[in-house]
Amino acid sequence: MSDPAEAQQPADEDLARKAAAGDRRAFAMLLDRHYDRIYRLAWRWCGARDRAEDIAQEVCVKLAQSIATFRGDAAFKTWAYRLAYTTAVDHIRANQRLVTLQPSDMLSLVDGAGGVAQDDTIEGQELWRAVRALPPQQRDAVLLVYAEDLSHAEAASILGCTEKTVSWHLHEARKRLKTLLEQVA
Amino acid sequence: MTNKDLDSLNSLPVPPPRDAAKSAALSAAMDAFEKNQSAPQASAGNIRPISQSEPGTRRSMMTLARQHYALAASLAALVVAAPVAFQIIQNDRNAPLEIVRAPETEHRSFAREAERRDTGADEKNTIRPEMAAVGDADRQRAADGVTAGKPAPAPAEPTAITATMDQTVAAAPVASAPVAAVPPPFAAREAAEVSALTSRNLIAPRPMGLGVVGIDGRAEPNLYLEGGETRDRFTSADQNPVKQTAADPVSTFSIDVDTASYAFVRRALNAGRLPPQASVRTEEMINYFRYEYPAPESAAEPFKPTVTVVPSPWNTANKLVHIGIKGYDLKSAERPRANLVFLIDTSGSMAPQDRLPLVKNGLRMLVDELKPDDTVAIVTYASSSGIALEPTKVSDKAKILAALDRLGAGGSTAGASGIEDAYRLAEASFDTDGVNRIILATDGDFNVGLTEDGDLKSLIERKRAAGIFLSILGVGAGNYNDRLMQTLAQNGNGVAAYADTLNEARKILVEEASSTLFPIAKDVKIQIEWNPARVSAYRLLGYETRALKREDFNNDKVDAGDIGSGHTVTAIYEITPVGAEKKSVDDLRYAAPAKPAAPVVAASASNELGFLKIRAKLPNAETSSLQSLAITDALAKPALADAAPDVRFATAVAGFAELLRGSPHLSGFTYDDVLALAGPARGDDPFGERSEFLNLVRLAKSAPR
Repeated sequence: MSDPAEAQQPADEDLARKAAAGDRRAFAMLLDRHYDRIYRLAWRWCGARDRAEDIAQEVCVKLAQSIATFRGDAAFKTWAYRLAYTTAVDHIRANQRLVTLQPSDMLSLVDGAGGVAQDDTIEGQELWRAVRALPPQQRDAVLLVYAEDLSHAEAASILGCTEKTVSWHLHEARKRLKTLLEQVA
Repeated sequence: MTNKDLDSLNSLPVPPPRDAAKSAALSAAMDAFEKNQSAPQASAGNIRPISQSEPGTRRSMMTLARQHYALAASLAALVVAAPVAFQIIQNDRNAPLEIVRAPETEHRSFAREAERRDTGADEKNTIRPEMAAVGDADRQRAADGVTAGKPAPAPAEPTAITATMDQTVAAAPVASAPVAAVPPPFAAREAAEVSALTSRNLIAPRPMGLGVVGIDGRAEPNLYLEGGETRDRFTSADQNPVKQTAADPVSTFSIDVDTASYAFVRRALNAGRLPPQASVRTEEMINYFRYEYPAPESAAEPFKPTVTVVPSPWNTANKLVHIGIKGYDLKSAERPRANLVFLIDTSGSMAPQDRLPLVKNGLRMLVDELKPDDTVAIVTYASSSGIALEPTKVSDKAKILAALDRLGAGGSTAGASGIEDAYRLAEASFDTDGVNRIILATDGDFNVGLTEDGDLKSLIERKRAAGIFLSILGVGAGNYNDRLMQTLAQNGNGVAAYADTLNEARKILVEEASSTLFPIAKDVKIQIEWNPARVSAYRLLGYETRALKREDFNNDKVDAGDIGSGHTVTAIYEITPVGAEKKSVDDLRYAAPAKPAAPVVAASASNELGFLKIRAKLPNAETSSLQSLAITDALAKPALADAAPDVRFATAVAGFAELLRGSPHLSGFTYDDVLALAGPARGDDPFGERSEFLNLVRLAKSAPR
C-alpha cells in the first residue's frame, strides 16, 4: 500500500483531536483506518471471527464514548490499542466458562475440514492455539510483542508492568511453547 | 523454534472480518459518537469516564447493530462463508500479507470517500511521516520489527529458578497422592531421580529394574523430546521387594482393575521394541484378561475370592499364592441408570486414525449398549472447551450419534476446563440412584487450565465424594501421560484403560462397559497376614503403585480401587515356605532369630499359610464390610499343571510381565517358559486375546534388546 494518496492523509492525532472536539467525519475516518487492526488484534486473542467481530464492535463503541477524553498525550494508536486489548481480554475472560459450541465452531471441528489437505493451515493454527493456551499474562506478552509487533516498552505500558516482566513472560512462554509445539510436530 | 516461529505470528493470516460486521461496528460506533456529542455534558474536551455513559442505551444500540449484521450475514452466509474463509487462508498461505490486506482494499473506497469529503477541513494538517498511512506503517513495522523491536534473548537466571520449581512440583503430586500411598522415601527418591535425570540419561544404559522413563517431562523437556516415544510418561516404581515374614508379616494393597499397561506393552511390542520397563505393571497385565473364577451368589456379597497355591514355575523352592476375586455380575435389569458424560479431547494431536476416530467408533458402540433411559452428554476440549451435546436420553440415539459424528480434531489441549464443564453437566443430570460417570478420552496432556496435577486431583476427589466418578480412555502413543491419567482415574474411582485398536476400544467400552461403568463395590482393599511358622518370606507381584499402609486397611477414609460388575481381579504372591528357603536373606549373627511372640492362633494354624482379609464398601455405603478366608494347605496343588487353566494363564502373564520388567527374581525363567505355560492354558479364548498374548511373547523374544 505505497499509495501516495495515503501519504497525504492526516495524522491520527490530528484526527483524534478533531474527533474529540466533535468532528464526526474525523472520527469516522479514524475508525475506518483502525478497524482492521482492532479486529486483527481481537482475532489474534480469541481466534474466532464471530467473536473477533463482536469484540471489534465493542471497541469501536468504546472509542466513540471516550474519544472526547483523548488528550493527545499518547499516540492515538497506543491509546486505541490499550482499549482494544482490555476489551479483548475482558471478553475472553468472560467467555472462558461454559461455551456451547456454535454451529460455525462445530464446522471447524468436523472431520475433514481439518484434514490432510489443510495441513499447512493447521500448522499456523497449532501455533495460534498453543499461544492462546498459554497462561493469560504470557499469552498477552507474546501476542503484543510478536503478533502485534510492539516493543517491550509498549507492551509493558499496555500490560501495566515493567519491561523486565514482559521479558520474563516471553521467556516462560517460549519454554512452554517449545514443549507444546514439538509435541504437535 | 522459537523466536522465528513466534515472529511468524505477525505474518500468519487472520481471517478477514465480514464487511457486514465491519459496517455494523462502524455505524454502531458512529451512533455512540453522535449520542455522546448530543449529550449536554459532552461538550468537546470534557472528561467522561466510560462507565457514566448511559449503559442501557449503549447496550440496546449494540444489540440493534448486531441484529443488523446478523441479518445481513444470514445463516446461509454463515455456513458458506466459513469454509470459504478456510479456503482463502489456505490459498493465500504463500502470500500471507495479501490476506491481511484483502479487506482493506475492499473498503478503501469508503476511506477515499471520507477523505474526499474531508479535504476542505483538513487542509491545515501537517503530515507527520511516522503517523501517516497507519495501515502501511503497520506493515512496514511488521517487516522492520523483525530486526528492530525484538527482545534480547531472555536472561539465563530465570531458567535456574524454574528448573528448581519444576522439580519440586514434579515430586509433589506423588508425595501427596492418597491413593497410590507411596511411602515417603519413594517420593524423595523420585525427586532425586528428577535431578539426576540429566546425567542418567546421558550416560550409558539404565540400570535393570529401575524404570526411569518418564518421571516428569517438565523438568528437562529436551531429553524427552529426543527419544520419540519416550515422551510418554510413567511413574516408575521399584518392584516390590522380598519381605521377611518374621519382620513384616502383613501385606496390604488396594485392588487395581486398570489394564492400560497391557495395551501399551502390546503397542510397543507390535512396533518391534521392548516396552520401557516403567510402563510394565504386572497387575495390569494380569488383570487385562478375563478369568472364570467362581462367582458370588448375590449383589449383597459383592465378590468372591478364590485362592490357589501352586509351585512357582521360576523358583522350585517357592510357591505362588494366586488370589482370584470375581465381582458379582449384575443382570441387565438390575443395572442402575447411567448418567454418562463423554469428555473428549479434540486437540489437533487427536487427528490420527488411532485417536479421535477410534474414540468415536468406540463410543458409538458403547451408546448401542446403553438403555433408552440412560443419559449421555458430550463435552469437547481443545483450545477452549465446549458442549457438543447437552445431556440426552439414549432413546434419542440418533442425536447422540450425530453429535459424535460431528466431532473432529483441531486445537490445543485445555483439559482442565473441559473437566470442569463435564462435571457441571454430570451434576446437571445427576441421578442419585444411578451411575454418574465421566469418561475422559484423550491422548495425553492437560496442558492448560488447572495448572498442577494436584489441583485436578483435588477437584476429582471432591466430585468423587459427591458421587461422580471418572474413567479414562487413553489413546495414541507418543504423548500419553500415563502418570497423570493413572492418578486422575485412581482419584476418581475409575479405570484407566489404553486403547490402541478398535478391538481394544470395543473390549474396554462395550464388553467391559458393565464392569467399568457399574461398580458393585468400592474401596476394595486386600490384606494378608502371613504365618511366620509356615512362610519365611513373601513378595507381591505388581501392585507397587497400589501399596497401602497396614493401618489404612481399617480406615474407611482411605480410598482404594473399585470392582465393577463381573470384574475379576487377580493378585499373585510368591512365598518361600519355611524350611524350603534358599536363604535370600542370611540370619543375623548377633541377634537371636526373631521368634514370633506368642501367636494368637498357634497349633490350629499350622495348616494355614496366611490369612486373607478383604475390605470393601457397597457402592452407596460409607462403611466397609470385611470378608476373610484362611489360606490353608487344602488350597494347594501339588503341581502347577493341576491348577485351573485360568490360574496357569495368569501365572504365565505374571512371569511375562516380570521378564519385561527385568525382575531379578526369575532365576532362569524365559520367554519360552512363558509360552509353554500359557499355550495349554488358553481355554476357549472367544476373542483371541490369549492367542494374541502368545504372539506378544514371541515378539518380545525376538525384539532387539
